[in-house]
Order: sequence, then structure tokens, then C-alpha cells
Amino acid sequence: MHRIFVITFKELVDALRDRRTMMVTLLTSIAAGPLFLTLILNMAANQAERARELKLAVDGAQYAPALIAFLERAQIAVQAAPADYEARIRAGELDVALVINADFAGDVAAGRAATVKLVYDRSRDRARASIDAAEGALRAYNRQWGTQRLLLRGIVPQVALPMEIEGIDLATPQQSGALILFLIAYYGLFASLMGGMALALDATAGERERASLEPLLATPASTLEIATGKWFAIACFDAAVVSLTLAGFYLTLNFAPLPAVGVPFLFGTTEFLRFLLVLAPLVALLPAALLYMGARGRTLKEAQANVSLLLFIVSMMPVVQLFLQKREPPWLLWVPISAQYTLLSRALRGDAIAPLDWLQSAIVPLALAALALVATGRVLRRESALGLR
Amino acid sequence: MIVVDGLVKRFGRKGEVAAVDGTSFVARDGAITGLLGPNGAGKTTLLRMLATLILPDRGSAQVDGLDIVRDRYRVRERIGVLSDARGLYARLTARENVRYYGRLHGLSGTKLEARIDELIATLNLDELADRRTQGFSQGERMKVAIARALVHDPAALLLDEPTNGLDIMSTRGLRELLRSLRAAGKCIVFSTHVMQEVSALCDTIVILGRGRVVASGDSAQLLAWSGKPTLEDAFVGLLGSGEGLAA
Repeated sequence: MHRIFVITFKELVDALRDRRTMMVTLLTSIAAGPLFLTLILNMAANQAERARELKLAVDGAQYAPALIAFLERAQIAVQAAPADYEARIRAGELDVALVINADFAGDVAAGRAATVKLVYDRSRDRARASIDAAEGALRAYNRQWGTQRLLLRGIVPQVALPMEIEGIDLATPQQSGALILFLIAYYGLFASLMGGMALALDATAGERERASLEPLLATPASTLEIATGKWFAIACFDAAVVSLTLAGFYLTLNFAPLPAVGVPFLFGTTEFLRFLLVLAPLVALLPAALLYMGARGRTLKEAQANVSLLLFIVSMMPVVQLFLQKREPPWLLWVPISAQYTLLSRALRGDAIAPLDWLQSAIVPLALAALALVATGRVLRRESALGLR
Repeated sequence: MIVVDGLVKRFGRKGEVAAVDGTSFVARDGAITGLLGPNGAGKTTLLRMLATLILPDRGSAQVDGLDIVRDRYRVRERIGVLSDARGLYARLTARENVRYYGRLHGLSGTKLEARIDELIATLNLDELADRRTQGFSQGERMKVAIARALVHDPAALLLDEPTNGLDIMSTRGLRELLRSLRAAGKCIVFSTHVMQEVSALCDTIVILGRGRVVASGDSAQLLAWSGKPTLEDAFVGLLGSGEGLAA
């Protein structure tokens, strides 16, 4: 037991003195939250602003003065459309344009349906809010006009509008902003992998490459003690990186002057602690897995190639889950990473983590971590660990 | 005392390469035993087996009566190893490098610190002791590696080509150290392919060729036996095709 801590202590001192790696790891982890949130929230705020202060480019405004007056009453800034409005919309400089035909008044007088064209490019995410707002305004005008006509003829509007659509959005403010939720959970997972990576590789393949492994193996420390000691150091560091990353999100969301976007979700102290709890099994597993893969590599380069597989798995699983968009099956809580992602999403929605669910999500990672440590010990005991053939 | 009895170690998928092929010798306490042989004679493999880093395929060896396979952890407590690979931790100071190994050997506190101070004084490491080992010269690295191997005051010392890459002054310093360790009653085994090393230091010379002991004895015995005027001639004669090998 004593030897394990001797090894842990040495690995931590060794790692902390590696200034550059340390600075890069810590800075990127603490800066990730503020950076991402500022970008995303600004985007969201921008969209909300566009919807609220819609500027509508209109071609042929003079043909339908009543419609223009209605739009202006609805706080929409009507502007004359430039001649090349189609090109501009394609280029993304203009969100939406309204085109009114010259025979608008004529059609109305003749009792025909008058046509207006709304020109937009729906593939542009940024423009979507403006498009929806413009469409909504035109429909409202249509409905108002039709209703007035019916009333003039002594018919109740319900004859023509037998059904009323009433939308009830079930998303509480906390459940909105799905993208932001996804990113925070994703970043939490990612941090638990990246936090230990540099250290794990340095402690295994790096140790071999620097030719300090062979003398170490000739000491009374067993290979399992060596693996465990190194693992504990890496896990400590990993935990620190995860905490810093989450602290970055926490501080930004709670104290930074962010633009109000109307989708406040909770990431307070409770959520912060729940996140740490959910990620704890991964902070045990991922350093152990990294250690094993690092030990299998004969050189630092080989070890990096091994590790990129792990990186791929960890980064893909939540994305797959996001795109499947199904209700999670109960067995998913047995699967490492997916289970953590599921629980993190729950925590962000403001749900409590049931102790049994947490236990279920922790069993497999903890067992795998123990297995990886034993396997690392075995790899180090192999004669090829010395760089023999 | 180290007793080696018929050690065999084979490499390759089918074990077709016999790196050590039935080697036997005895290294006494208070004596320096030199393993002399050309490259590929099996010196490093032999020392790695004695250091319990790899397992022999056949044969056995004891360090002070402890078996290198069954009692490997207790053997490790009794030996100091200066292996072919002698990397240091570049971000730790010389003193910290040595302290790490002392702690792994179960030493701690003032006893450990006193031992480290003693080694630093013996090896003339005073000026370097509290500098990080990054940028140390070959000779300086070697000194730290030796201090590391000696920190637990082992009864036996295994050195794999210790003078490799050392300048004349460092080599001399190392020889003096080995002589003083011999005087302290340690059992010292070192491998080399440099003739002068052997003649200058060794009490017993074990000449290895293709994993087997070709001849052993002190330099006078080897000269008499081979009938050659110098040790180098004797070496070449003993390993040369046909002539000495048959004997």
C-alpha cells in the first residue's frame, strides 16, 4: 500500500512540473465553458432579436397599402427590397423578402385570391426566426381580413374557421436550449477523457521511451502496484480537470453578464455536484483504460494511436444517442459513457439522480477500471515491456 | 553470493534463438566478476534474468540463497541494478530521483536522507544534487543512476556495460567506486566488451560466447590456459573459430 502512494506522489510531482502540458490542459479546461456559452448564447440572443425586431424587405409596397399598414402596426420595419433581393437571400445577407404583385388590388376587386410571395432560404438557421415571424404576420393579416369579410356578411367567423389551433409548449424553460444542454454534458464527458490523456501516455509509453521503466521494474514494487500508483495519480488529475471544466460552466452561467435568451436552464451548485457524482465512475475508468492503452504502445506514437480509438468511442456515443432521439431503453444505464450522458442530461433537466440509477451506471465502469489495472500490470510484466523482441 | 546454474533463455516465436544457453558460474562476495563477451553473447539477457526482470526457460540462479524466480521480490531487495536502460526522470532533481527509489525500497525519513547525502558525497554529486536531471551529461546521469541503484545498500550489484559512453575521468571514478564496494564485501557482477575494464578490475573473468561460458578464471589463469601473451589475444583465441572453443 505504501509503495502505491510513493508512486502516486512521484507521478503527480513529475506531472505538475511539466509546465507546458499543465498550462495547456488547465487553461483549455477552464476556458472551454465560458467560450462555448458566450458563442451559443449570443447566437440564441441574436435569433430572438431578429424575430422581435423583424426587418421585412418588401417589393411593391405601393400595391397593398393596407397590408403594409398592418405589418407596421405589428412592429415590423418595412423596407423597400433591393433589386437583387434573391441573390442577397442566397448569400445570407437578407433573411426574407415579401413580393407584392402589381395586380394585387385588381385581384382583390375582382374577388380572386390575391397572391403575395415570401422569398427565403430555409436552410439558413439564422434566418429561421425572421421567416417564421414574417409568415406568422401574413397569416394573421389573412385571418383578420377574412374574418372581417364574413362579419360584413353576417356570418360568424367560426363557419370558416371551425377549428382553432392552440399550441401548448410543454418545454419548461429548463428543458429548452437543448443544444446548450447537450454541449455541457458532452464537455463533461470529454473532459474526463482528455484530463488524463497526457499524463497516462507519459507515465507508460513515455516512461518506456525514456528508458526509466526497466530500472523501475527491478525495484520491489510489483507491476500491479506500479499500475495502481500511476492510475491514482492520473485519476486525481483527471478529477481536477473535470472539476475545473464544470466550474467554468458554472461560473459563466451564474455570474457572467450573458445576453438574456429566455431559455434559462439550471446549472447551479446542485447540478454541479450531481455532474461530479455522475462523472466519478468515468474518472476511475478512463484513466485506467488510457493507462492500459499507453502501456501497450512500445513508443509514445504507438500509444497515441491506441488512445485515439478510445477518443473516437467516447466522442461518438453521445452524438449517436442525440441523433437517435428515442426514449432511452432501461439497459442503457449499464453502458459506460451512454449511461453517464443519460444521467447528465437528467441532471441538466433539473431531475434528481436516483441512487439506484447511479449505482447501475457505476458498476460496469468500476469493474472495467479494476480489470484495466490488472491488465496493465500484466502488460508491464511481459518481457516485451522491456523492449525485447 | 550469486550462483548461476545452467540458465537458459530462448527468444523468437519458436524459441529458436538461444540468447543464454546453459550458463553457469559463481560470483563471490567481496569480489568483482566480469562478464566478458562480444555483442550478442547474451550478457544483457543474463543480467536481466538475475535482476528478475525476465524468467529463465531452464536452469536456476540464487542470490544469497534466494531463488530468482520463486523469491523474486526478496531478491530485488538484495540487488542493485544498473541496467542497459538507465533513464532518469528529467523533471525531478538528482536527489529526488534517488529518493524515489529509496522509498520504493521501503526506506523513509532521516535514515533515507542520510543515505542519500552519503551517496551524493561519495559520487561527488554535491553541485548537481538539487538540479533537475534534464540536460545532465552522460557521466552525470550515470552517477545518478548508480546512486539510485545503491540507495538501499544492496548486497549484490549488477551492472550492464557501466562504462558505455563515459569519458576517462568518469570511468576512473567508477572503477574506484567499484573497488571500494568490493572492499565493503559486496558481490559485484558487471558486463563489458572492453578488455581494459576486465584486466583493471576483475577478480574473476567469465568469458561468454553465444550464450555459453567459454572460459572462466582470473586473468593469469586465462592467459596460462589459452597460451597467449595478452588477455586480448586470449579472448580472441578462446572465442575464435575452432581453436579455443573446442576445449
